[in-house]
Amino acid sequence: MNCEVAHERIVTAAYGELADEQTHELERHLATCPECGRDREELLALKVLMAAHPVAEPDANLVARSRLRLEEALDALPPMRWFERLSQKLTNNFASLQAAPVAAGLLLVLGVGAGSLGGYRVAEHRAGQAKAAIAAQIERGAVQPAAVETAGSTAPAEIANISSIVQQPNSHLVEVRYNQLVPQQIEGSLDDPAIRQLLMLASQNSASAGVRDNSVGLLAAECRAGHGCKAQGIRDALMVALRYDKNSGVREKALKGLEPYVAEDQRVRDAMLEALLNDSDPKIRTAAINILQPVEGDTSVRQVLHSVANSDRNPYIRTVSREVLSREPEIQ
Amino acid sequence: MNGKSAEERAQARAPEMELIREAQAGSRAAFDTLVRQYEQQVLRLALHLTGSEHDAEDIYQEAFLKAYRYIGNFRFECSFYTWIYRIVTNLCLDQLRRKKTRREDHAVYVNHSGDEIDVLASVSDDRSFSNPAKELERKALGERIQLALEKLTPRERMVFELKHYQGLRLRTIGEMLNTTEETAKNTLFRATKKLRAQLAGVR
Repeated sequence: MNCEVAHERIVTAAYGELADEQTHELERHLATCPECGRDREELLALKVLMAAHPVAEPDANLVARSRLRLEEALDALPPMRWFERLSQKLTNNFASLQAAPVAAGLLLVLGVGAGSLGGYRVAEHRAGQAKAAIAAQIERGAVQPAAVETAGSTAPAEIANISSIVQQPNSHLVEVRYNQLVPQQIEGSLDDPAIRQLLMLASQNSASAGVRDNSVGLLAAECRAGHGCKAQGIRDALMVALRYDKNSGVREKALKGLEPYVAEDQRVRDAMLEALLNDSDPKIRTAAINILQPVEGDTSVRQVLHSVANSDRNPYIRTVSREVLSREPEIQ
Repeated sequence: MNGKSAEERAQARAPEMELIREAQAGSRAAFDTLVRQYEQQVLRLALHLTGSEHDAEDIYQEAFLKAYRYIGNFRFECSFYTWIYRIVTNLCLDQLRRKKTRREDHAVYVNHSGDEIDVLASVSDDRSFSNPAKELERKALGERIQLALEKLTPRERMVFELKHYQGLRLRTIGEMLNTTEETAKNTLFRATKKLRAQLAGVR
């Protein structure tokens, strides 16, 4: 190692950001190079010196004043108009479509296909009905304008909204136009991008813990089996579930699904370390400790394990992390 | 953010996603709760970087108004804390750049009414309070350090602040400043080098 590299590493080491292996190399260099030794002493002296310019806690008056000013400004803001909300939603949706163009394209094609087919069937059915009605009316000799459904012919169970109400002049007849919500279903292989996209949506947006549990369970199984668990897709959905899902069963499944990627993906490792530090369920924290594998070049795993082993409130977690640290001396 | 215990952070995090979603749906109450969670950190950072209560208050105001306006764009790809810090660091960088062009020498904090306050004097240190000579010495030292910090470029100042004083990891700093961990590391190295040159001989 030359002195230039050593100088850089002295700084990273002083701030706890140097990997153990490089720290060892640096120590060996410092033992033989008095100039770099002085450099390190100077840097450590600087760190001590900077403590003379400490970070002050903000004054309570400053906090109160800032809060008040913000509240006034927020009160003065006009409420967001519907088109602003819509444009924000569209921007978001556009961004997520960019993230999954193939799946989005397929969903679009599926949607258009299902819509056309449905429309064709409905039109065919209505044409048949109209023909039958006209035939019956012709038989009775009283032809009335067709294509108007009469009251009682539809069940208003899934009406989304009423778009217009018009009363015929001088009569009891009322024309009501409304839109209906039509539930859809789709069936396909787990490898189907459209199915995957729906599972990812369900993992984050479903109000039902059961649906989230099922979707995260299926996605996690795909990841564990190594089926197209790409960094930008399913893996992200599992990380969001691990970080934010309220249900510990869902979080546990997400954790298991991420297990194969803890060594290769830094973000997975971060999510895992966060779970180890913060998760409210000791079972998940214990599982996270056991999953963390030797990760070369990253000291955070060891640091977190040390900190948990020394200062966690839960004695069981302390014991487990100590055991892992003693069993796996090669963990970085 | 670093001062919180693991338990506190766990408690804060569990309902956080819910709060963000409610705020995205337009709930002021949810947004206010998020503000309460982060306001101390925002003010602490802005105050230490700008050295002025007035500037810190402006940054607080602008940061949370921006967060309110754009919370609909938050898509849970990073933690909310990184997102809000990114807004604050950008505003602080703008402020530091403006200040740099004015070349004002602030060796002291300026409070709301424009009075100058020596922040070092407000830090408790029994030994120095009992010794006026030592107190003076400490004050002069603080001023030297502030001057040295002001000689850094805004970006160097920001990286040094986030690493040395806020204790964030270089990877997180890179993420906040829209750059790589390697660049953040090099910037930290340059900052410490300059500070050592500026403060050589000061003990």
